[in-house]
Amino acid sequence: MSLRTNKRTVDLQVITDWVTPSSCVLDLGCGRGVLLEELVQQKSIKGIGVDLDFDKISACVKRGLSAYQSDMMGFMAEFDDHHFDHVICSRTLEEVDQPNTVIAEALRVGHSLTVGFANYGYWKNRLDSVLHGRKPQNEVHPTSWGESRPANPLTIADFESFCTEQGYRITRQVHLRGDWKTPCTFARNLRAGYALYELSR
Amino acid sequence: MNDSDPDSIDALPAEPGEVGLVAPVDYVSDEPFTFESGRTIPGYTLRYETYGRLNAAGDNAILVCHALSGDHHCAGFHSLSDRKVGWWNNIIGPGKALDTNRYFVLCCNVLGGCQGSTGPLSIDPETGQPYGINFPIVSIRDMVRTQERWLRAIGVTQLAGVIGGSMGGMQVLEWGITFPNFVRKLLAMATTARESAQAIAFNEVGRQAILQDPDWNEGNYAAGEGPRVGLAIARMMAHITYLSDASMARKFGRRTVANSKESTGAFDVQFEVESYLRYQGKSFTNRFDANSYLYITRALDQFDLAAGPGSLEAAFEPVTADALVVGFTSDWLFPTNQNRAITTALLRAGKNASYAELTTDLGHDSFLLESPELYALVRDFLAS
Repeated sequence: MSLRTNKRTVDLQVITDWVTPSSCVLDLGCGRGVLLEELVQQKSIKGIGVDLDFDKISACVKRGLSAYQSDMMGFMAEFDDHHFDHVICSRTLEEVDQPNTVIAEALRVGHSLTVGFANYGYWKNRLDSVLHGRKPQNEVHPTSWGESRPANPLTIADFESFCTEQGYRITRQVHLRGDWKTPCTFARNLRAGYALYELSR
Repeated sequence: MNDSDPDSIDALPAEPGEVGLVAPVDYVSDEPFTFESGRTIPGYTLRYETYGRLNAAGDNAILVCHALSGDHHCAGFHSLSDRKVGWWNNIIGPGKALDTNRYFVLCCNVLGGCQGSTGPLSIDPETGQPYGINFPIVSIRDMVRTQERWLRAIGVTQLAGVIGGSMGGMQVLEWGITFPNFVRKLLAMATTARESAQAIAFNEVGRQAILQDPDWNEGNYAAGEGPRVGLAIARMMAHITYLSDASMARKFGRRTVANSKESTGAFDVQFEVESYLRYQGKSFTNRFDANSYLYITRALDQFDLAAGPGSLEAAFEPVTADALVVGFTSDWLFPTNQNRAITTALLRAGKNASYAELTTDLGHDSFLLESPELYALVRDFLAS
């Protein structure tokens, strides 16, 4: 199993553990539906994925999942408060405009919001920028500047202070070391490569 | 965005084949049929075609529903001298998205139509004359209810899927609501759950062109006659709504036609697009009945799934099938937001529903597009 696949599996495992069986789940930025399929199989959830890309939606449909081609905000606007039990943003927040509005809307349509993101404050990223004066480039940020998409990376410190400012309650959290496997208990913004949070209002 | 590993590539299917020579069949029901409007006819005929074979369980059938000007002939050809294949031949056949090695694909001409099914051209047994405008007002639900009786009669126990674009998509939605236990998959494209004012407006112009033609004569005209000018104008106008600015620019641009010998008037055909529309209008009058056009456009305009139950969610409450709705970015007759609205209502009602959107510049007719992505989506949805 490649490191990359391995990392994806860790993300899946934590999120799957947090999701209530038979609940109603919205996956924002569902990609090809790997997470949703896992949740359907492990937790018998009723799920819907949202993504912008036709090919991703097509791959979800092939897996027998419900998926909706749209931007996240446009999709969520169609639903009443707390229509979903869980909303999930797995490695999605780094790619959206104004994540504050997405998070607020997700906590309107969902009872809880799970976010998972690669910690940009991880020490290796800092080395790249401080020591080498370069954009981080590693297995988490694999592309060189010239081939990168617009991104809005965040650190654990950014996210936690954001939650405090907004008054969001962090109900669960997990921090993982650079291997995205070993739990990280101190100096997390420096030593953790990946972070997962569950929020509620 | 979670992952970008492509799915493993399946073994490539064998080169898709053709359904080849086909012949239409008539289903005749001797049982009375009562329309939604309350009126009853003593029986009806549906003309249909089938491709592939029905399995022993009778549950591998896929019903194709046609649009306003379409008919039951959606694949293959009728004779070796045919120049055109059925209207959705690109998607139906052995190894194609609607794989006739796997599915029993069928399509019938709708109730109210004029290609062999009972409609205004048919003889009213009470008078011995064609119904004309004494034919009962037809609804999309009436079309679907006559289809269900036909399918049961020929041994179909459950539909693996119903698929259609435009008015065909309306029938798909109606199928899921009216006969939820009879259908496993709903695939609606380039459609709407309720006709918009714009779509009604276009239909009304078409109807007025027919009604104002003196040859319409209150709907009384002999077979092969009638309001040919009005029907041709209706078709010309409607045809524009199926295309797009970009597709017309590409197909015709401002190209002019070579002057024909007798062409001297300032308002003779000058541009290719004029010539094309005149041809479309004229050829339509050779195959379509004006009264049918009035009836079917009326059925389209009255289609509003939310009207009875109060909301679209309430309308979709009975649905049990998985649904997939496909919208096309350049469709301005049934724009993407109307296709999205169907899907979000299904989801709000707690149903399994997906929405996919293809970026095309072909307008409403995009659903007939030769698109490998669309084929794969259709194939995978039906197989999932």
